[in-house]
Amino acid sequence: MSKRLMIVDDSNIIRNKIARAMDTYGLEIVGMASNGKMAIEIFVETRPQIVTMDLTMPEMDGIGCIRAIHALDPAVRILVVSALADKATAIQALKEGAQGFLCKPFTDDDLTAATGELLDEEEYD
Amino acid sequence: MTRFGFGRYRALALAIGLFLLLQVGLFALDRNISAQLRADAVYERLASRQFAVHLQVIQDSTLLLHGGALTDKQREDRIRQLDRSATHFGRTLEVFSTGGTTVGKRDIEVHVEALAIPRAQEILRTAQTAWSPVAAAIAALKAAPGPAEAAEPARVILTAVPPLRKEMVEVATLMDDVASERAATLGMAKIGALSLAAVNFFAILFYLAVYLRRSDQELERARKETADILRTTQEGLFLLDQQNRTGTQYSRALERILGTTEFSGKDFFSLLQPMVSEKTLATTREYIELLFKHDVKEKLVADLNPLNCVQVFVGQGTGRPETRYLEFGFNRVKEAGRITHLLVTANDITQRILLERSLKETEARARDQVGMLVDILQIEPAALQQFLRTAREGVQTINGLLQAQETGATERGSKVHALFRQSHRMKGDAAALGLKNMAAAFERLEGTLTGMHENHSLTGEDFLPVTVQVKSIYEQLDAIESVFAQIGQARVSVSLEPHRVGHDPATAQQPFVQRWNDFAQEIAVRHGNTVELNYCGPDLAVLPDALQDAVNTIVNQFIRNAVVHGIEPAEDRKRLGKPATGRLTIHLAQREDGGVDLSFRDDGRGISVEHVRQVALEKGRLSAEEAATWDPRRIIGLIFEPSVSTRATADGDAGRGVGLDAVREVVARLGGSIRLGTTANEYCRFRVGLGAPAMGSAR
Repeated sequence: MSKRLMIVDDSNIIRNKIARAMDTYGLEIVGMASNGKMAIEIFVETRPQIVTMDLTMPEMDGIGCIRAIHALDPAVRILVVSALADKATAIQALKEGAQGFLCKPFTDDDLTAATGELLDEEEYD
Repeated sequence: MTRFGFGRYRALALAIGLFLLLQVGLFALDRNISAQLRADAVYERLASRQFAVHLQVIQDSTLLLHGGALTDKQREDRIRQLDRSATHFGRTLEVFSTGGTTVGKRDIEVHVEALAIPRAQEILRTAQTAWSPVAAAIAALKAAPGPAEAAEPARVILTAVPPLRKEMVEVATLMDDVASERAATLGMAKIGALSLAAVNFFAILFYLAVYLRRSDQELERARKETADILRTTQEGLFLLDQQNRTGTQYSRALERILGTTEFSGKDFFSLLQPMVSEKTLATTREYIELLFKHDVKEKLVADLNPLNCVQVFVGQGTGRPETRYLEFGFNRVKEAGRITHLLVTANDITQRILLERSLKETEARARDQVGMLVDILQIEPAALQQFLRTAREGVQTINGLLQAQETGATERGSKVHALFRQSHRMKGDAAALGLKNMAAAFERLEGTLTGMHENHSLTGEDFLPVTVQVKSIYEQLDAIESVFAQIGQARVSVSLEPHRVGHDPATAQQPFVQRWNDFAQEIAVRHGNTVELNYCGPDLAVLPDALQDAVNTIVNQFIRNAVVHGIEPAEDRKRLGKPATGRLTIHLAQREDGGVDLSFRDDGRGISVEHVRQVALEKGRLSAEEAATWDPRRIIGLIFEPSVSTRATADGDAGRGVGLDAVREVVARLGGSIRLGTTANEYCRFRVGLGAPAMGSAR
C-alpha cells in the first residue's frame, strides 16, 4: 500500500510540482494546503504519513505547523521544503520534529532522493 | 558495546583448566597415600608395642619360673600382668590377620584393617600357631596354687614366646618396606605433578608472552596506520563529543587549516569564535545540537550546515592575517545505535572559491567581450579609430597628471578636478559611440574622483585607486583595439539601417551624425523626453584629425547638456506651445583659414540667469555681493566653469559640473572662441569657432 502524503506550500506552482513528482514516485497525495492552519485541518482528517512543509506561509507558519503535527502524530515524517534564506529558522523547524530539509529551488530528482532518504529511515526504524 | 571474544582466550583458559586439574589430581593422590601412610604408622606403632609386650611376657614368665623369692602377692601381680600382656599380644596378632579393634599405647582402642600383604598373613599364621599354647599356659598359671605348680606353664610360655620375635621383626620389616614404597610413590607422584604444573605454567607464560606480543604488534600496527593516516591526509579530521570538546586524535592537516596547534581537548566553539560571526556561531551550536539530539536524517540536513563555507582570517607567523575559506562537515559516529561523537572534517577551500570567482569573472569578461563586440560592430570604423586615438591621448593626459608631483591639498584638489574633466570627456565620447562598458568604466572612475573631491585632506596615496582604474581602462582600450583589428575584415559586411533624421538627407546618413543622433536618443530615453537631431555641414572626415576630435567632443558635450538640461518633457513643451519633440540643430562650416565654425542650437528651456546665479551661490562660487552685482552675461559665463551645474543630481549623463568646462578646455587649446545666445523657454545656441590646428599638433 502506498504511503499517504500531504503537501503544504503557499505557492500553487510548488504544490503542483511536488504533487507531480510524488505521484510518479508512488505516493498517494491525500491533501494539499496553502497555509499552516489548513494543513492541520487536512492532517487531522486524512492522517498522512509523510508531509512536505514550506516554512514561510500566511495564517500559521511552517514551524508552528510542524510543532502541531508532531504533537498529533510523533511518527509522521516531515520534509521541510524551503528557500535557504535563514539556516537558523530551518534548523529550528527540524528541532520541532521534521526529519529533513530540501532547499528551494529543487529538481524532481532532488525531491525523490530526499523522499527516499526519509522513507528508508522509516522502514529501518 | 564490545563483544567479549572468548575465542582469543581459549588456549589460556585450557591451560589454566589443566593446571587446576593437575592440582586436584595431586591433592587426591596425596590424600589417598597419606591415609595409607597413616594406617601404616598405626600398624608400625602396634608392631612396636608387640615387641614391648613380647619382652614383658618373657620377663614376667622368667620371673615366675625362677622367682622363688616372690611373695604370693607379687606372684599374683605378675600373673595378672602376664595375662593382660598376653591377651593384648594375642588380640593384636588376631586383628593383624583378620582386622578389628585392639588396644594401642596408653590403652587407647585402635581399629585396624587386616594386613593386606600375603607374606605378612603367612607369617602371622605361623606366629598364631606358635602363640596358641600360650593362652592355655596362662590359664594354668592363673589356676596354679603355688610357685611349684606355676613353673611348668611358665616354662611352656618361655618356650613358645621368644621365637615369635622373629615373626614380629619380619612383619615390622615388611610393613616398613610397604610404607617406604608408598612414600616413594607419593614422592614420585608429587614430583610428576609438580613437573606437569611447571610445564603447564611455562606453557601459559609462553602463550601469554606470544599472545601479548602479537597483540601489542597488532595494536602498534593499528596505531601506526592511524597515525600515518592522520599525518598524511590533507583533510582536517577530528572527533567532537557531546560536550562539544575536540578529541585528542586529529589529523596534522588541521593545524595548517586552522592555523593553531593548540587543539586537542578544546571547546569547539571557543576555537570557532575568533573566526566566525556571532550569528554563525549560534547557528552552528543549533546545528550540532540537531545532529546529536534530534531525529533528523544526516543527509537531509547537510544543506543547513552553517560552516559549509566560512571566510576566516588566519594569522601566519609574523605576516599579515590571511583570508581563507574553510569548509566544515559533520558526520555522526554511532555506537550500538547511539550517537557518541561527530566526525568533523575541515577543508581549506580557498583555492576552490578563488577558482569559482575567477571563473565567474572570466564569464563576466566573456560576456563583456561579446557586448563589446556587439558595440564595436555597430560603430563606424573611422569613428572608432578616432575614439581610440582620443581616448589614448586622454589616458596619457591622465597618466601625466597622476605622475605630476604636487605639494599641497589645494593642488591635489585641482588635480582631481582635471582628472575628472578628462574622464568625463572620454565618458561622453564612449557613450556617444555606444561603447557601454567603456563608458561605465569612466563612470566608475568619476565616482572614485567624486569621492576624492569631497576629501579635503588628500594624500598621494589616495590616488592609488585611480591609477588602478586607469590601468583597467587602458586594458579595455587595448581589448577594443584588438577586437577591432580582428573584425576589421568582417565588419565590411556589417551594415546598419540608417535613421531617417534631419532635414539634410545626405548628411543625416553620415555615420558620425548617426552616432550623435543615437547618443542624443539614448540620453533622451533615460531622461523621459524625445529629441530629433539635424546636421548641416560637411563630412567630418574632410577635417584634419585634431579638428574632427575637437568637434566630436564638443558636439557630444553639447548634446548631453541640451538633452539633460535644455529639452523639456513633452508635456511641458506642449503647454509652452512647442512641438513635443525637442530639436537639436548643428551647423558646421569650414572657414577659409582651415578652421571651422560650429553652431549648436536646442529649442529647450534656455539658460535661466537666475538659476545659474542661485547655483553658483549655493556652490560657493559666488559671494552674495558678487551674485548681486554681476551682470547676466557674466553669470551665464559661469556655466563654463568647473563645479557649477544646473542639474540637481549627478548621473551618468550630466550634472557633475563638468561638460561645458571640458568644451571650454578644448576650445581654449585650439585657440577658439565660444559664444552663447539664449532666451528663456525658447532656445539656447552655442557658437564655437575653432582655428586650424598647428602643423604636427596632436589635435
